[in-house]
Amino acid sequence: MATIYVDGKPHQVDAQQNLLHACLTLGFNLPYFCWHPALGSVGACRQCAVKQFRSPEDKHGRLVMACMTPASEGAQISIADPEAVAFRKGIIEGMMENHPHDCPVCDEGGECHLQDMTVMTGHDYRRYEFPKRTFRNQYLGPFVNHEMNRCIQCYRCVRFYREYAGGQDFNVFGIRNLAYFGRHEDGVLESEFAGNLDEVCPTGVFTDATHKHHYTRKWDMQFAPSICVHCGLGCNISPGERYGMLRRIVNRYHGDINGYFLCDRGRYGYEFVNSEQRIRQPQIRSNGQIQPVPKQQAIEEGGRFIASATTVIGIGSSRASLESNFALRMAVGANHFFAGASTQELQLLHLTLEILRTTPVASLRDVEDSDAVLVLGEDVSNYAPRMALSLRQSVRQQPFAMTDKLKIPRWLDHAVREAAQEHKGPLFMATVAATRLDDVATDTYRGAPDEIARLGYAVARTLDPEAAGLRATTASGSLAGQIVRAVRAVTGLGKPPSGAPDADFETMAQRIAQALNGAERPLVISGLGCRSGPVLKAAANVVRALQRNGKPARIALAVPECNSLGLAMLGAKPFEEALAVAREHSGTTAIMLENDLYRQAPGSDVDVFLRSANHLIALDHLQNRTTATAELTFPAATFAESDGTLVNNEGRAQRFFQALTPQEIQESWRWLRDIFVAAGRREFSAWKTLDDVIQSLVSEFPDLAQVAEAAPAASFRMAGEKIPRQPHRYSGRTAMLANINVSEPKPPDDPDSSLSYSMEGNPDQPPAALIPFAWAGGWNSYQAWNKFQEEIAGPLRGGNPGVRLFQPPAQAGEYFQDAPKRFQPREGEWLVVPLYHVFGSEELSILSPGVKQLSPKPYIAMNDEHAKGAGLQAEDMVELAIGGASYRAALQIRPDLPVGIAGVPVGVDLFAGIQLPAWSKIERVS
Amino acid sequence: MPTILKDIAAIAKGMSITFMEMFQPTVVENYPDGPGPLRGAKFQERYRGVHVLQRDENGLEKCVACFLCAAACPSNCIYIEAAENTEENRVSGAERYAKVYNIDYNRCIFCGYCVEACPTDAITHGHGFELATFNASSLVYRKEQMLAPIPAHIGANAVFNQAEVLGGAPAQVAPGE
Repeated sequence: MATIYVDGKPHQVDAQQNLLHACLTLGFNLPYFCWHPALGSVGACRQCAVKQFRSPEDKHGRLVMACMTPASEGAQISIADPEAVAFRKGIIEGMMENHPHDCPVCDEGGECHLQDMTVMTGHDYRRYEFPKRTFRNQYLGPFVNHEMNRCIQCYRCVRFYREYAGGQDFNVFGIRNLAYFGRHEDGVLESEFAGNLDEVCPTGVFTDATHKHHYTRKWDMQFAPSICVHCGLGCNISPGERYGMLRRIVNRYHGDINGYFLCDRGRYGYEFVNSEQRIRQPQIRSNGQIQPVPKQQAIEEGGRFIASATTVIGIGSSRASLESNFALRMAVGANHFFAGASTQELQLLHLTLEILRTTPVASLRDVEDSDAVLVLGEDVSNYAPRMALSLRQSVRQQPFAMTDKLKIPRWLDHAVREAAQEHKGPLFMATVAATRLDDVATDTYRGAPDEIARLGYAVARTLDPEAAGLRATTASGSLAGQIVRAVRAVTGLGKPPSGAPDADFETMAQRIAQALNGAERPLVISGLGCRSGPVLKAAANVVRALQRNGKPARIALAVPECNSLGLAMLGAKPFEEALAVAREHSGTTAIMLENDLYRQAPGSDVDVFLRSANHLIALDHLQNRTTATAELTFPAATFAESDGTLVNNEGRAQRFFQALTPQEIQESWRWLRDIFVAAGRREFSAWKTLDDVIQSLVSEFPDLAQVAEAAPAASFRMAGEKIPRQPHRYSGRTAMLANINVSEPKPPDDPDSSLSYSMEGNPDQPPAALIPFAWAGGWNSYQAWNKFQEEIAGPLRGGNPGVRLFQPPAQAGEYFQDAPKRFQPREGEWLVVPLYHVFGSEELSILSPGVKQLSPKPYIAMNDEHAKGAGLQAEDMVELAIGGASYRAALQIRPDLPVGIAGVPVGVDLFAGIQLPAWSKIERVS
Repeated sequence: MPTILKDIAAIAKGMSITFMEMFQPTVVENYPDGPGPLRGAKFQERYRGVHVLQRDENGLEKCVACFLCAAACPSNCIYIEAAENTEENRVSGAERYAKVYNIDYNRCIFCGYCVEACPTDAITHGHGFELATFNASSLVYRKEQMLAPIPAHIGANAVFNQAEVLGGAPAQVAPGE
């Protein structure tokens, strides 16, 4: 800590930081543009000028850029000094010369950092009377809108896109006052983090192109604290609603998870909520006709289906909330509560849970801070995209250690990058196919899942010869000798695969082990991406070996969906068992909770299951193949229309809240409650609010006791008032419902949370889990998050939201034993593995038009050598057969795929329900 | 006796003023029995009556759906839904136009803040004032009721397809060209 004097008053600040960071942490309003809490300082915009004095006697002082000056002990600065004030005003005036002043037609208007800073500095009159420079705008894809004339040349976009997110297809062109930020030609931005430009850009050059189609000002939207449902990471989001329609998603800062950035799937995948395919009222199917029915009639009909059934089968969902799944489990009983997922996936999830319980788990912030990383089997960029952005930062940790020695402060971004040059910290990618992180990887290894697992096992044994029961033979032997012996013990089992010679494999394991062992905060990343148990076990073994070596090693595991772990913790059984029950019993009723079974299990099995049940009740958001077969369909609320809890990949329970005003669509647990009460199960009528369900959940599952603490209960009040979902500037309140009643109706009650559907309520900062939107006096843009943090870019006031359900264990867990056998390619057959696409592999986001546009066409991919051997060419129509079903798609040549492996894009319609990995022939069809 | 005389004198004096005034010219507005379409009503120019949504010289709507009027409105009575202009359907000169623009005159207090806030002078106060109705819901005015008529010299949308209206400022710099 250091003491600095701001306008004569002493303040305690972090001596490792710069003056701008210190001033903002202290709550001073100091304007800035090029500085960003996650990007550091470059001193490009000259906006944060303050006066610095040598001593209290120094009355003259000199202007310094706060972002480029360390907060050193005893620093004397003045923000209010007239010369500094005039300087900042002059800088803004210069920036505004060419700015088009088109705020009324600009999408950023009302949440614009440039507007805020202009007002803050007091520049209010334009003296410049000459032509402004103009640019041609580019088409940058379905997500990001480009309007170059508004640019103030702060360079934040290009710093984020290229340096932070590793994108290549975006840059700055031109010189002087004609700097142009864009692509070399029109086209879709390649980076899956391009959407963050909306928030990184301090003005309206980059704006949300999906929002444009149903534009609403920030002040007119009703927000709620929410959680992204498009992968398992649980990024915090802030959805905005107006007139009953979900308008957009913006990032909601979470210090441990997403920080300031989201991926484009999370940001733009929301449009399924507004889809025309939405089920908006209960439907009944009679004589092949689907007809809407009144709510009460549907509930009674559902009650009859339940009451008359011999057995009720409940199929839960990994994209439904913990509460909805729990309600189903209570209603149908533990024995008849199933997941849509297969045995294989549930086993992997239970293995994941076991590992998370016995291993220190890394949050995304920890991933960012790790200084050596081994990725086993996970295509992070496509499977858990936001984690890839954190991984890109992890390779900067070792260069940081180097620049620390040169006494370059870490926030001095370009000095650090200049000193580090191309030097990157260790990141080893062992994956089935190429990934978009390979460009920053120290080394990549490509192999079958089993080979990847073997690499993990080899690394673990190299680190600790005790791993997997292998005894160190000689205590006197050198470490290197032990390493070689240990590696041979696992690698000498059979012939090496043609792609990875034995020696390479050994040296690689050795290098990885050395890098991890030499690091201060090593990390291993794996997950369910390649659907392999041995890979998960290998990852856990590496962490355990590191722990035994005294390293604070951590693990991060990616899971497929937003509540995969929650569903597994509720003890759901695999789909195969549901199928068996349906076959054994006659007169069953099956309830499918937010689950399209055709995406989870082979179509033939699902057909059998649906046919053997006597009655089918489906609850879902959109029409799909499963709801089409159901007799009774209830409109289930999406994340934007409901409250609930999700458990993310690190075992963090987080509450999401309703953004859309309630309507006929309601939470699945409410539908289930109503149906079962109608079936005579009176006990469920006790569930009036979300908190009632959580109370039952907690008493039933002691493991999940902390779920209740994920967010304050509905009874929470701030000074006796609820927390408003709407900004205080919310307009049109009395006019928007005038078509229904000219007397303004009372806003609906929210019994489930302490948020109100109103602009009225306590204006103070709510607890971190209940912040609906970022706004602070004078800070209308996203930069207002500065005002909600304990320290800039640190945790939110009162701690980051959510609770970790698993506590880090005191000591390293036991090693997993069973290393897999060497992968043997087969003659004329391929091991078909899943390949993921950030746009296209996830079920809900693909229903949004923009994501759909960028999702891949179905293909079957293999190595060119292989294709040649089989006499196949790119674009040939080929067929593979798995689990009794055959799939036909064009052949894609992917040189990065290992020998004996073929890949298909999972999630696209054609491959729905395919069970991978599996062996199959691949043959040309005409 | 003198009191009676005094009272008679007082009545006579009062009535004399009455009779005198009967022959003076009228000073109040003869509304609603006056001549012309306004039936005798007269206005100061600055009178704040029912709003008028103005058009520009090409007949396009001036409103660009910026929502500032709605934000400025102290009684929250302005309802706007924005939509995007397209080549085929150009309604305003900018990117967006107001697809729906309602003012709830049950709530409007004619304060003029919306007019003041409007960056394009799209919304102005007209002189309409005869709002009374037996049905409150008919006081929710739609855009069509407030929109200024298309000037007679402009054919429907003919001018909007001309390049100089659509084109905008010419590009000076763009990479790849």
